[in-house]
Amino acid sequence: MGTSTENASVEQQLLSFLEERTKTPWTPDRDLFADGGLSSLFAMELVVHLESAFGIVVAGPDLQLRNFRTVNAMVAMVDRLRQAAGE
Amino acid sequence: MNDREALVSELVGDRADAWDLAGLIPTELLRKLGEAGLLCGEVPGQYGGLGLSSLDNGRFTAHVGSLCSSLRSVMTSQGMAAWTVQRLGSARQRADYLPRLTSGTLAAVGFSEPQAGSDLSAISTEIRLDGDDVVVDGRKIWVTAAHYADLLVVFGRYGDGAAAVLVPADAPGVTVERVADPMGCRAAGHAGIRLDSVRLPRGRVLGGAGAALTMLVTAALSYGRMSVAWGCVGILRACLTAASRHAKSREQFGRPLAQHQLIGGHLADLLVAEQTATRVCEHASRCSDDGSPDLVTAAVLAKHVGATQAAAAAATAVQVLASAGASDGHVVARAYRDAKLMEIIEGSNELCRLMLAQHALSVSG
Repeated sequence: MGTSTENASVEQQLLSFLEERTKTPWTPDRDLFADGGLSSLFAMELVVHLESAFGIVVAGPDLQLRNFRTVNAMVAMVDRLRQAAGE
Repeated sequence: MNDREALVSELVGDRADAWDLAGLIPTELLRKLGEAGLLCGEVPGQYGGLGLSSLDNGRFTAHVGSLCSSLRSVMTSQGMAAWTVQRLGSARQRADYLPRLTSGTLAAVGFSEPQAGSDLSAISTEIRLDGDDVVVDGRKIWVTAAHYADLLVVFGRYGDGAAAVLVPADAPGVTVERVADPMGCRAAGHAGIRLDSVRLPRGRVLGGAGAALTMLVTAALSYGRMSVAWGCVGILRACLTAASRHAKSREQFGRPLAQHQLIGGHLADLLVAEQTATRVCEHASRCSDDGSPDLVTAAVLAKHVGATQAAAAAATAVQVLASAGASDGHVVARAYRDAKLMEIIEGSNELCRLMLAQHALSVSG
């Protein structure tokens, strides 16, 4: 697992990204795609952002909405993919 | 004109209208372009591709589109197949299949089904595990380039999610039937595909288990939308050129058409449309090349602007040429039919507008 500092940094970056793009504040456990939330198109924007910002590749099996549903889920996925890339 | 564009110009020559009327492009020509890596120019060099940027490949796509939309459609299919392998496949699958797609193997991608057009969530094609194999059952319709394809990339339900599967076109249980007399892009090899208990090694599944269909399809279609958008820029350029040349050479009421203000207005509209679509496509490609998340929406926007502008402009061009351009065998008549199809494929006008509206709501605060 990444350090808590690294994960906190990813979390903060993602919260800032979301707030900047949606002009709405978010919390780490809030469901992005719940009623009235973001579109599936936005989910792909998140994929591209995660890849650019954190140097990971989100390929086939990881393209699951549950990996993008909350900031917490995205932080966990970034951590897992970074670990896998480093092995 | 660069070497790539010169090669395609030479290979197409003045044959696009004949291919359109015959409903076929010579397969050897497609293989020649495929072997040169030109049908999927963005595949990285490590897989034998040209490694073009989205912007360079887009400009090349526009050039092909200005010559022959059927050929550009085949190119879009090949590029989308390669993009799907690159985006969804494992490292091993990328190493295995991408070199084939840059060396002459022709591919097509199947999304739509009889009951699943704009609503791809209704896809019912089933990919199910059976020991070390998967078995595929379903039906796809209007699969561009399927008539020419050696390899079919088929999207379907898989486990509790979705996947794409790589199906050899000659596998037992696969039937490919050409669409009879499509109204546009007549030589693009549109076909329906039946998959009856098609058994394949499990290693041909892209995307693993549990992936979301909407995300897989959006990933694949992002490339397709960009490519179609650039193809529409090509249609717009062909229409602008044909209408301008005709307006200079054709005289009515004692002077060239170009000196009649109403015709001048049409030409200005064509130029505005071509420039608008070009700029929107350039923006989308730059987003892609920069790894910007804006690319997803920018691709939808580019496709929508390109398609609607091309359809309107092709009608305008036919109007300028009048009887001279109103029959099969003329570039503007072909553009008129081809452009209409662009408003339907890779996300209809209506679907694009819905997606753009959703985006507007997402970012409105």
